[in-house]
Amino acid sequence: MPALKVYAWFLLKRLGLTVLTLWGLATLVFLMIKLMPGDEAQMAAGADASAAQVEAMRIRLGLDAPLVAQYLRFLLRVAQGDFGTSIVTLQPVMSDLGKVLPSTLELVVVAMLINLSVAIPAGIVAAYRQGGAFDSLCRAAAVTLGGMPAFWLALVLQFLLGRVWRVVPISGQVSFGMGSPVVTGAPSLDALLAFNGAGFLNALWHLALPAAVLAALFSTQVFRTLRASLLGVLRSDFVMAVRAKGASARRMLTDHALPNSLNPVLTLAGTQAGAMIGSAVLVETVFARKGIGAYMFNAVAQKDTFAVLGSVMFIGTVVCLVNLAVDVMQLVLDPRIRSAQFGSQH
Amino acid sequence: MHMDRTFQGSPTPGPNATTLARAVGLTVDMPVQLGASSVRIVDGVDFAIGVGERVALVGESGSGKSVTARALMRLDRAARVSGRVEFAGRDLLALSEREMTQVRGGDIAMVFQDPMSFLDPLMTIGDQVAETLRIRGVGKADARRRALAVLDELRVDRAAERLDAYPHEFSGGMRQRVVLAMALVGEPRLLIADEPTTALDVRVQDQVLDLLDDVSARRGLAVLFITHDLGVVAGFAERVMVMYSGRIVEDGSVDSVFARPRHPYTRGLIKAVPRIDQDLDRLYAIPGAPPPPFARPTGCAFHPRCDAAFAPCLRDVPAVLPVEGGRAACHLHASQGA
Ligand SMILES: Nc1ncnc2c1ncn2[C@@H]1O[C@H](COP(=O)(O)OP(=O)(O)OP(=O)(O)O)[C@@H](O)[C@H]1O
Ligand SMILES: [Mg+2]
Repeated sequence: MPALKVYAWFLLKRLGLTVLTLWGLATLVFLMIKLMPGDEAQMAAGADASAAQVEAMRIRLGLDAPLVAQYLRFLLRVAQGDFGTSIVTLQPVMSDLGKVLPSTLELVVVAMLINLSVAIPAGIVAAYRQGGAFDSLCRAAAVTLGGMPAFWLALVLQFLLGRVWRVVPISGQVSFGMGSPVVTGAPSLDALLAFNGAGFLNALWHLALPAAVLAALFSTQVFRTLRASLLGVLRSDFVMAVRAKGASARRMLTDHALPNSLNPVLTLAGTQAGAMIGSAVLVETVFARKGIGAYMFNAVAQKDTFAVLGSVMFIGTVVCLVNLAVDVMQLVLDPRIRSAQFGSQH
Repeated sequence: MHMDRTFQGSPTPGPNATTLARAVGLTVDMPVQLGASSVRIVDGVDFAIGVGERVALVGESGSGKSVTARALMRLDRAARVSGRVEFAGRDLLALSEREMTQVRGGDIAMVFQDPMSFLDPLMTIGDQVAETLRIRGVGKADARRRALAVLDELRVDRAAERLDAYPHEFSGGMRQRVVLAMALVGEPRLLIADEPTTALDVRVQDQVLDLLDDVSARRGLAVLFITHDLGVVAGFAERVMVMYSGRIVEDGSVDSVFARPRHPYTRGLIKAVPRIDQDLDRLYAIPGAPPPPFARPTGCAFHPRCDAAFAPCLRDVPAVLPVEGGRAACHLHASQGA
């Protein structure tokens, strides 16, 4: 397939764009450090460092050099994945993130799967039977859920499902004694790598409630977006032509109407992936899970500047990569976008 | 010409034809928004189409031609269709939705006005043509082979190379051939062509019309040809039905309707066909505009625009009565029945 080369070229272009975006983000972070009140050397050395220690730190970090030199050095360090040292853990921020991020990604990936696998079928049925009982029910549920404060929803579900009915664990990531040796940092993956079936199920079980809360917060948007998009597509002429061929409602929906209404949903899911990592701060705190959310929460609480900024850079990178993936998916889905990008192949 | 044809309630096709499809008292109500109230778009239409017969359905925009055609195939999910629709002796309105999917694309197929908007932009044209067969359980390779054969028959340029191309990569005329292939590949017996050339430019219109003429003759295909261009009717169809505001006001053989139109509306339509020897500023148009279906005038719906209207026209809906060579629904001819 000659299309392969064309995809590779597209990826290369988009990767270039991603690097530019991250450069912009790094510049923003640099400016934030510079504009933040307080002395950087003092922050790095710790609040109770002596004046001599602060001066030593200033020289060690190169803060005595001109601003442009500092900026270039900063970029060089960021490019190497060096975000500085956390004043709380006294570890490089990068290695801290390496430990907490997999757990967050596990949460976000499962939440995204739940989100899409609930909202998409619901959106399809609601749009196909517009104005029907299921449609009305879903729309009412979407309004209710959408208007609920996230924090409150997390606490209520935790209380009902965890305390009152006791169906799922309310906190932690894996039961005591069920854990597996840490390889990736994501408990469910680690359990799989250790061939620990019970541990895997246990980890998923702990994931259920926080992932469901996170999914609930985002699925109303997906539902609404897909429903609206699909309603538009169902009114379009080619749907009638597909029916005229003798296609069943099911074939018409899955093979024609759904692919044609997926574009805005993909775009939305891309932005949601970033926002979900942001919301993980809240969910991980409520459910006492390890993760970048809890890490950032602590970092902010303890004024651990480098940890906060390192996390921001990291999340920014993940968001950029997700958007890249969304772009590629849209390209695969829609030949018109392909033609616009690469010119006609025929 | 059989001049002594009579109608006894049930519509018949043209002379020498056995009935393929028939509508009796076909009525279509459309919901107004999603509420309970509805508006009558098609109001008790009777007609028949014979095996291999070509029938034109003409009328101004909004007269209900498309709604009538779609009702035959029960295409519009929102429409409430009543009366009777028969195809090869079967009552289509009594079929389940599942049985209906066998009829659509198999017995009756449809081509549409704007080939771009009636093709799925995300699917290759090969897959779209083959889908008609795939739905009927034909294997992948076989369906593809037959799709290619039909595209070749319809003289789509380089069809073999372009099976995997997408609709936006084709010109308007080629797209209409693809749509036609989609309809023909299932080997239907009745093809409904809903203004298949209106969206195309004039030169391409003629090509597509010739093609339609060609393939329908070769396949013995019955065609219900919908148009508001009376100019193309004479060359293509054997019979013509004239629709106004959801009712058939006149029908008959093309020869007799064009030579002796009975209904003032038909006369107006014929007069409005532009002729080559005519000055542009002397083009005729029927005064006024057709009424919207929710404000259909009492009696004969055409009476506000008719210069021959008299008292009964305002009061009673004229019955569809036989006249020489066809039928007409006009009080002027109420006493001339055969
Ligand atoms: N789905 C629908 N719901 C409500 N009203 C409709 C619907 N489809 C068509 N109508 C109305 O029914 C009337 C007839 O429409 P139809 O499309 O059959 O006209 P037509 O004769 O095919 O005209 P044209 O030449 O413009 O295609 C119009 O007034 C239109 O507004
Ligand atoms: Mg129409």
